[in-house]
Amino acid sequence: MNAQMNALAQPQDGYTTADGRKIGPVLMEMKNITLRFGGVKAITDISFDIREGEIRAIIGPNGAGKSSMLNVISGFYVPQEGEVWYKGQKRPPMKPFQVARLGIARTFQNIALFEGMTVLDNVMTGRLNHMKSGLIAQAIWKGRAEAEEVANREVVEKVIDFLEIQAIRKTPVARLPYGLKKRVELARALAAEPSLLLLDEPMAGMNVEEKEDMSRFILDVNDEFGTTICLIEHDMGVVMDLSDRVVVMDYGKKIGDGTPDDVRSNQAVIDAYLGVAHD
Amino acid sequence: MAQSSQATDGLTSIPALLQRNAQVFAAKPAYREKEFGIWQTWTWADVSREVDDLALGLINMGVNEGDFIAIIGNNRPHLYWSMVAAQSVGAIPVPLYQDAAAEEMAYVLEHCGARFAIVEDQEQVDKVIEVQDRLHQFEHMIYLDPRGLRKYDHHRLHELRHVQEQGRAARDEFTPDLAARRAKLDYASTCVMLYTSGTTGKPKGVVLSNRNIIESARNSCDFDNLRAGEEVLAYLPMAWVGDFIFSIGQAYWSGFCVNCPESTETMQSDLREIGPSYFFAPPRVFEGMLTSVMIRMEDASPLKKWLFDRFMTVAKRVGPDILDGKPVGMTDRLLYALGQIAVYGPLKNTLGFSNIRVGYTAGEAIGPEIFSFYRSLGINLKQLYGQTEATVFITVQPDGEVRADTVGVPAPGVELRIADNGEVFYRSPGVFEYYYKNPESTASTKDAEGWVATGDAGFIEPGSGHLRIIDRAKDVGKMADGSLFAPKYVENKLKFYPNILEAVVFGNGRDRCCAFINIDLQAVGNWAERNNISYSGYQELAGHPKVLDMVQAHVEEVNASVAADPMLSGCQIHRFLILHKELDADDGEMTRTRKVRRRIIEDKYADLIGALYDGSAQIATKTEVTYEDGRKGYISATLTLRDAKVFPVTPHKMAEQKVAAE
Amino acid sequence: MPETLLYAIEVMTNGLMAGVLYALVALGFVLIYKASGIFNYAQGVMALFSAMTLVGIMEGRVPFSHLINAVLGTDIHHFGWHLPAVLSILMTMAVMVLLAWAVQRFIFRHLVNQEPIILFMATIGLAYFMEGFGDMMWGSDIKKLDVGLPQGMNSWIDETTYGAFGYGFFIDNLDIVAAIVAAILVAILVAFSQYTKQGRAMRAVADDHQAALSVGISLNFIWIMVWSVAGFVALVAGVMWGAKSGVQFSLSLIALKALPVLMLGGFTSIPGAIVGGLIIGVGEKLFEFFIGPMIGGATENWFAYVLALIFLVFRPQGLFGEKIIERV
Repeated sequence: MNAQMNALAQPQDGYTTADGRKIGPVLMEMKNITLRFGGVKAITDISFDIREGEIRAIIGPNGAGKSSMLNVISGFYVPQEGEVWYKGQKRPPMKPFQVARLGIARTFQNIALFEGMTVLDNVMTGRLNHMKSGLIAQAIWKGRAEAEEVANREVVEKVIDFLEIQAIRKTPVARLPYGLKKRVELARALAAEPSLLLLDEPMAGMNVEEKEDMSRFILDVNDEFGTTICLIEHDMGVVMDLSDRVVVMDYGKKIGDGTPDDVRSNQAVIDAYLGVAHD
Repeated sequence: MAQSSQATDGLTSIPALLQRNAQVFAAKPAYREKEFGIWQTWTWADVSREVDDLALGLINMGVNEGDFIAIIGNNRPHLYWSMVAAQSVGAIPVPLYQDAAAEEMAYVLEHCGARFAIVEDQEQVDKVIEVQDRLHQFEHMIYLDPRGLRKYDHHRLHELRHVQEQGRAARDEFTPDLAARRAKLDYASTCVMLYTSGTTGKPKGVVLSNRNIIESARNSCDFDNLRAGEEVLAYLPMAWVGDFIFSIGQAYWSGFCVNCPESTETMQSDLREIGPSYFFAPPRVFEGMLTSVMIRMEDASPLKKWLFDRFMTVAKRVGPDILDGKPVGMTDRLLYALGQIAVYGPLKNTLGFSNIRVGYTAGEAIGPEIFSFYRSLGINLKQLYGQTEATVFITVQPDGEVRADTVGVPAPGVELRIADNGEVFYRSPGVFEYYYKNPESTASTKDAEGWVATGDAGFIEPGSGHLRIIDRAKDVGKMADGSLFAPKYVENKLKFYPNILEAVVFGNGRDRCCAFINIDLQAVGNWAERNNISYSGYQELAGHPKVLDMVQAHVEEVNASVAADPMLSGCQIHRFLILHKELDADDGEMTRTRKVRRRIIEDKYADLIGALYDGSAQIATKTEVTYEDGRKGYISATLTLRDAKVFPVTPHKMAEQKVAAE
Repeated sequence: MPETLLYAIEVMTNGLMAGVLYALVALGFVLIYKASGIFNYAQGVMALFSAMTLVGIMEGRVPFSHLINAVLGTDIHHFGWHLPAVLSILMTMAVMVLLAWAVQRFIFRHLVNQEPIILFMATIGLAYFMEGFGDMMWGSDIKKLDVGLPQGMNSWIDETTYGAFGYGFFIDNLDIVAAIVAAILVAILVAFSQYTKQGRAMRAVADDHQAALSVGISLNFIWIMVWSVAGFVALVAGVMWGAKSGVQFSLSLIALKALPVLMLGGFTSIPGAIVGGLIIGVGEKLFEFFIGPMIGGATENWFAYVLALIFLVFRPQGLFGEKIIERV
């Protein structure tokens, strides 16, 4: 299996990380993206790529345009200029729900969960796109709909087990503390079995222990399911330990791109971070 | 002893019992585990196959007879099987506390000289890897859950599933060897080695033979009529002798089913789904359940609350009598039946006690209110008194003779003796073989005639023949005026209040008693919420004047009740404070089984004790704390000290009489 | 049994039946409000419009006949056929789905992220537009709607109660049918929202738009669906009410009765709409019966609103609404 993959993967189509993971060909490429809100440029002419199996981080001080970038990838913003390429094809302008249906799942910085539902129901919504039966079919072929439901529930239970949230399965989300909500949101995104997982500040507002847990989950997700992950953080320390390659943004421009070590020694990056107080 | 071997039909080892069960109970469930939200079941025949595969795999890896194999993890069927597989190949399983830090594990692993360890997951693998280079005899580690371990160096690391597969593949080659090793096991061979957490000093390895385990299991199964149909929930640490007896000894003897929860946090809902017929829990678990019931009732609708209060009054009055089969009036029976439908039934269902036939609590004294609460619901909760060295059972309460203040009569086959200083001694088929590599301790604990010192002071009640435990023998001291000082007796009374989690009473050799209190964050936090008291954490809540008022009221009530007992009336608490942090096993202040380490606390908080006795109203202090990951930090606080009302001391003539009553 | 009590029971039963209709209209409000945060003032007019369309289709009326005749100088009014009720209802449903699509496409798609008051104003506009449009399409005459539902006093109940109490209860067959239909409708709605993919998506959208988008739910599709479902509920209410008192403008006024129902039941709760409807229906009939004569009658006009007002003071979130907690 491994030998086969090696044979297929051309040198220019990937690389091997320090810990021995094989990184595949380019999954998503952003080409010269520019995003404006009225006259204000949020993103200026940024290009970078995300490879299969990679943990890719976008970092930068607050207001650097990281979240805007993530919103461009997930279809919440449509850039005025530039192209988004996904799985070797140019992606036409799309609505967020269409992007989600392409297998790109995301979480939000401020947590967007269905507060009125239980954890299980929330995670089940991640499977909506995997439910094939139409409305009429669901009414008529009850058996088939049930079989589908069971299959989806199985995937969801694996995710629940993986993220260790079994104990809150039936708890309404509104009652959970912040750290667990973040985990449930991750679970919902994972339930979709995404090809690309976007995490918007997964560690924001967490204490040290919760941050460590979340880092472990992110690494495990990548390791277990081979999920490509693109995450945003403004806390440099966490990102450097987690990611394979890092894009650094400042005032909407790309000021660095490379391995964590490359980026750390990049003068522009050092300047940008020195200019910003730690928060 | 030879005759008891006959009584067990030549079944003189756990692997032998397994082979019997695989035939007699072949299709009956032996283990269940909740995984991915569904209960998976293994029959006794399945278990026998799994254990065989693993045993063959262990031989394949080079496990020799007499090797020690450490087992580390939460209650998982595969880990239980690992213990039996180890026994099958003539090795000795050594279950370790899964929440122990790497350092603590290093001591035990080195002390027993384990060559192999079978562990649950990445967390445990990491801990062992951290210390394995220091362990002289350590060779291989086998893990159950491969998650996160793919990238680890697998030279000395193996997945349990693969070990089993390899064992299966080498079946033809090793089966004769396995059969031969199994045939060698008899009553005298070691069944398991368990490390006692020890309230002082380093842990000691208690060696228990097959005789110890099987005789104890047989006697206790007979005592409570435990049969193959029982369901138990295995959730207490595997390293604890109680879990070994319940989940292996009794389960293999009687062939009942052991259920493993999905995770530690889901224990309560798993309990509800399983509805065990036989259940064991230390008092704190029963306390915790009662507290959460009470909290839920506080938030319930007025109608529900009214129903609950009315019917609980009825239950309290007649429930225990109905349970014990004593005569109860027709009206009360009718009311109780009504309550069964309206309150007790649903409540027992929520708690997971719908099917319970026998329940035990042990390890610590249980609050009389808590105890009678469960009994009044019709749950046959009883107390037992035991030790690792006794293979659990010393005394148990027979059905119909259950009380909160005694620990019962000697268990079947147990002889009891009270020494002159009040210390309790016992002799039984369950008495341990020896402490591993520690002949001095063995000699000082177990004498030539097989009598074992419990370290607890107590007396046998003249009328009933029930044993009553006062305190740890070495903790029972004298006050300055010569009266008896029994701190645990007072502490237990304090801990019976849901608001008080822990208490430590001082006063040995002093003229009066003082106490440290830990509040129960859940209970007091809930109270604070209802009373609009905002707080950011334990420390702030602990220092709140209203909380102090509340605790003071509790302390004074306890004083009143202590004063009523002539023997111990000198132990009333004159001053107390609420500690600014919770006592924690990570800080060494408690054992892993949550017993207070008195000496350590006395040293660590010497400044606070000083302040209690010098009469100051406030004291500023700084305390070192250890976080779960081993890092250390400091917290500082200013504590308020309070005086509590004490009640007239009655003369202690009775005291000598009572202790001498043995 | 004393006579007054028997009367009261009869009045109450009639009130329950009226309440069912209030509940049906309120249900339409709740559906749209939950999913999109729009308070749809046009719900009542939708009921009227759907009933008019149903009559028009069934009787084979030519839509816009006045307009066509005026422009082309022709004199056509009827196609000359009479369609069966079931077929007509299906066709009317198709019209309501089309309407839902149009409402979404031409109005609310342009008003995304606007203030609730603006959305509300848009629905007022929609209400008057639809009223005029309906008249233009089908004429403004009072129409008789007969889809074959049983009408008149239920003689079995009359006889049984007469036998038992010496007083025969007057209960209209149509009311009984309305209650049954409403119960079935609610059961279907609950099953739909709990067990189908679309229902789950609908609940998701009702809870959080952003999150719904991120799991691949098209808001537009869900909103069209919700307006269609609300249209379906309006159709049922329209049929019931129309069969009872004819299809006329006053039908749209029952929508205003749904307002106090919502105050009582909460704007976001389906069970609230039902219970609220029943309470108002029974309450206003009983009040009229017992208190009415003492204060000069006609209390049915204002009772519901005053009750809602009292409720607002003591429990602003309604009986079943989510608790409103203002954090400071």
